[in-house]
Amino acid sequence: MLSVDLTPMIDVVFQLIIFFMFTSQFGEIRRSEIDLPREQGEEEPIPQQPAMIIDLTADGQYLFESKPMSLLEIERIAASGLASASDASPFDVLVRPDRNAPAVHLDRLLLRLSNVGVQRWKLATVEQGEQ
Amino acid sequence: MARTRNRRRRRGQLGALPLTSMIDVVFLLLVFFLVTANFAQKESKLPAALQTEGGGVRSSDLQPQIIQISVVNGQSIYTIGQVQCSDRASLESVLQQLPRDAGVAIKADPDVPVQSIATALQAARNAGFSRRSYVPSDSGE
Repeated sequence: MLSVDLTPMIDVVFQLIIFFMFTSQFGEIRRSEIDLPREQGEEEPIPQQPAMIIDLTADGQYLFESKPMSLLEIERIAASGLASASDASPFDVLVRPDRNAPAVHLDRLLLRLSNVGVQRWKLATVEQGEQ
Repeated sequence: MARTRNRRRRRGQLGALPLTSMIDVVFLLLVFFLVTANFAQKESKLPAALQTEGGGVRSSDLQPQIIQISVVNGQSIYTIGQVQCSDRASLESVLQQLPRDAGVAIKADPDVPVQSIATALQAARNAGFSRRSYVPSDSGE
């Protein structure tokens, strides 16, 4: 009887699994490395993926999907996102600011968003090193 | 003596285990778990409403408590009415004595670090305020 050598098959299968997991992960990774405010945050009853994630660096640069963006561009993206939002999938914005960034940058961003019609936002925090 | 002979015979039947490919697989698993563990960053969120100054009162006629954050000598000061606090514990205890129906609105001076805004939001949440809003100030755009 012909015996099938399992080991290389397992090798290949693992490679495939890792490849697919990686590619599916990268689709969701829209977050860059940022020193977030250290707070406990709030438990979400139903964890939901935010519609828009905006990063704010300590020197006041805005990043959308890890790419630097101007406020005007962010405003435009938020406006088109809001237009396609519904009750079932509301448009929520997650802001990931550097904890040392001055509030003026956050205020500018939030003012633009509220001008477009965004009514709720979420501030990203990390739990570690709670004060 | 009989046992060792038995074992030897069994090994002879199975053949030597191919170590190289096993190590291959083990390394792949190791790398996979290292990478995924790195990605799983523990992150939480602080939800808040967004209000604009002079934007009218939404859905409530009650005036919310206002926390004004400012920086004095490099330290963040939280002001509610006449009361000033400098850390979260005292801010939380002040907030706990206030009525919660009207909610709380947070404003920050331009030079306040975002950490202090997060602290104020967290204190309001911990004190039981379910209606929290942040009022961005339009200074020098």
